[in-house]
Amino acid sequence: MIKLNYIKNILNISGILLILFQLSCVQYKKRENIIVASAGKIESLDPAQANTIRTLQILSALGDTLYKINKKGNLYPSLAKDLPKISKNGLLIDIPLKENISFHDGSTFNAEAMAFSLNRFREIGTLNYLLNDKVEGIEVKDEFTIRIKLKKPSSSIKSLLTSVNLTPVSPNSYSNYKDSFNSKNFVGTGPYFLKSFNSSQQIIKPFKNYWGEKPQNKGIDFINYSNSSTLFGAIKTKQVDVLIANSIADMHRLSLDIMVNKDKLNSGEGPPTSIGYITFKSNNIPLSNQNLRKALSYTIDRKLISQRVSFGTREPLYSIAPPQFYKKEFSPWPSYEPKIARKLLKEEGYCENNILNIPLTFRSTVPADKNLALIWQEQIKRDLSDCLKLTLNGVESTTVYDQLSKGSFEAVILDWTGDFSDPIAYLAPLLSCTQIKNNTCLKGESVFSGSFWGDKKVQELLEISEEREGESRLNTFIKIEQLADQGSSYLPVWLIRPKAWSLKNISHPEFSGNGLIILKNLKRD
Amino acid sequence: MLWIISSLVFILLRIAPGDPVDAILGTRANELARESLRIKLGLDKPLINQYLEYLNHLIHGNLGTSLSTQEPVKEIISKALPASMELAIVAILIALLLGCLIGFLGAVRPEGKIDLLGRIFGIGTYALPPFWAAMLIQIIFAVLLGWFPIGARLPPGAIPPPPVTGFLLVDSILNKNIEIIFSSIKHLILPSVTLGILLSGIFSRSLRLNLEEVLKKDYIEAAKSRGINDSGILLKHALPNTMLPILTITGLTVSSLIGGALLIEITFSWPGIALGLKEAINQRDYPVVQGIVVIISSLVVMISVAIDIAIAYIDPRVSY
Repeated sequence: MIKLNYIKNILNISGILLILFQLSCVQYKKRENIIVASAGKIESLDPAQANTIRTLQILSALGDTLYKINKKGNLYPSLAKDLPKISKNGLLIDIPLKENISFHDGSTFNAEAMAFSLNRFREIGTLNYLLNDKVEGIEVKDEFTIRIKLKKPSSSIKSLLTSVNLTPVSPNSYSNYKDSFNSKNFVGTGPYFLKSFNSSQQIIKPFKNYWGEKPQNKGIDFINYSNSSTLFGAIKTKQVDVLIANSIADMHRLSLDIMVNKDKLNSGEGPPTSIGYITFKSNNIPLSNQNLRKALSYTIDRKLISQRVSFGTREPLYSIAPPQFYKKEFSPWPSYEPKIARKLLKEEGYCENNILNIPLTFRSTVPADKNLALIWQEQIKRDLSDCLKLTLNGVESTTVYDQLSKGSFEAVILDWTGDFSDPIAYLAPLLSCTQIKNNTCLKGESVFSGSFWGDKKVQELLEISEEREGESRLNTFIKIEQLADQGSSYLPVWLIRPKAWSLKNISHPEFSGNGLIILKNLKRD
Repeated sequence: MLWIISSLVFILLRIAPGDPVDAILGTRANELARESLRIKLGLDKPLINQYLEYLNHLIHGNLGTSLSTQEPVKEIISKALPASMELAIVAILIALLLGCLIGFLGAVRPEGKIDLLGRIFGIGTYALPPFWAAMLIQIIFAVLLGWFPIGARLPPGAIPPPPVTGFLLVDSILNKNIEIIFSSIKHLILPSVTLGILLSGIFSRSLRLNLEEVLKKDYIEAAKSRGINDSGILLKHALPNTMLPILTITGLTVSSLIGGALLIEITFSWPGIALGLKEAINQRDYPVVQGIVVIISSLVVMISVAIDIAIAYIDPRVSY
């Protein structure tokens, strides 16, 4: 009997040890795929529905676009055979397509398929206004040429065609989804095909019949965690191979950069795609006074704020569109000059027992915005406490966006990522206005951005820019920026670069011109 | 009751500032695009029509479709709820085991070292902010020691078994997938132990106080005078009588956890119902928020009734 109990005990202990052994083994099994982690869930893989960076990132690996933008910001053909041919009146664009390309379902990519995808986007795409505002119709000219009819000449359409939202999908696989979203599947022409999808994990594998350069890895597992500290811990403990910087707290960015400096991690950066700025409501006192807005633009010490908020990882910004578009040094907005600010405020009757009080709203769900508000407030207390006072007001993000066009905020901290890689994707959403009265915008995007600032010359130049190309077009944008600086209804603060970190046995993450990681270039040593 | 809750949720969501169209399109979309989406989502209809339609669908068991993903709300809930319930059940078991053990040992030797430590532990678990405790446990056991995975229900690359019950552990056992069984256990340990520890304080304190009170009762004295030994008195006479409040507390705790443990789910990236509800609120996804609240309320009502029945069954003094 005693012997039987003894044997039982031995078996129990062995069982427990076996379980522990098994538990410890599971995690360290050799990985085949590269694990890429980012924040937030991916709810849909339909390019017509995609509007988050993380979704665009995975779609960029599953699909191709007609054109792509390289690191220098130049357009080059991808699915297109050549650059677009534009008619003399600028209203017809013919795009020749590459041949012998197949979708993941084996069907052929041709002009029919491209037209199907573009028309589907125009019909159901959540961002379909981007195309519908410019495009009159899309036609198949011949089997491998597509024709785009424009409502008016548009030089930005070429950049728009680099948008991942316009990646073609197979008409065969999407025949039941002409007018509805196909959220859980994707059938395109890209270097990878979708192997499995759920909102917190997506697995993609190399597509054997891919027409272009083949992926250098055996597949990618995307995983989505819900917070920055988990993402940080995941790469630190080597549970993931690559970490994408979206939604990574500045403190964690700094720690990751320190690890890069100590040669514990690799990192890669893309061109800046997001801007952080402050909007001033210009249609009501006190900020309807242009001099006061101008004074405010002299009060912010961007370098100090960048250092304190982001430990220097966010670059100070002095223009609305990221400066790389201008291909030269260009800083229309003034830098920190409290003396000039004081002078301007004095001219308007402030500073002598009369303190200008500005309520500054920030999105309470965005820690960097809160820190920016706090530091700017303290900086003003230090430099201009007898002239100016900021009263802080934290509001939930969704409420901020809802209230912007209703004119609820005197000054509000926001950010913006262009829908495609072009200055107009930054300038128009902030400055465009179709109905202007005494520099107040009554109808247009400037209302939705909360500034209500309108300038007929700016609007005219925005429209002219669509008819210009090259240097002349860039000069038009420079003029728009200068006019916007004079109006001072926005205050650009910082630039945010897309960034990623990888383990040492993984290659350095490389970015495309539109700020997305080129996943097929990731390889394990 | 459910009608009042569902109506309140419907009204509160519409009163709250924020527009689902903004959440889907962004603020930049032109008026035409906004209007056509509003029509497509049925948000252009008068509020009373929307409400009547919502009630009609609800009565017929239709929770609607998500505004942002166009996925049926039933599917969204059926994916997220089992994750929360799995976490809640394991956490409650840990809390009961730990809490009752500490409370029992404290009551057996009142004012002893174990009792003192148990009190400190109980107060500590009340006082600890859940997000802080969760982060601390995550940093120590997942980041520094590397004993457990940092978050999620499964390791990257692992494909979950086809859902039968939705409970990953049960499904992987049914699927006889050994690797997934162990992976899911390993992923469950940190969040459930964290939640279990945080909840155990209430059980330990409750058991300790009730046991102390019961031990002073006349029938305990009578048992002692009949010569029954201490362990017999504790286990057969005192403990069963202290379990009734524990059962009530368990019911209340389970009810509160059915809605998910938001901070634990966020910290450990646990894809549960609370995380889904938070995201739906941020996006002003009315049908998802309404659906989740209605389902959670129904479950809470069902659990409360079940607990009442259980108490009536156990305690002959209680009758309905």
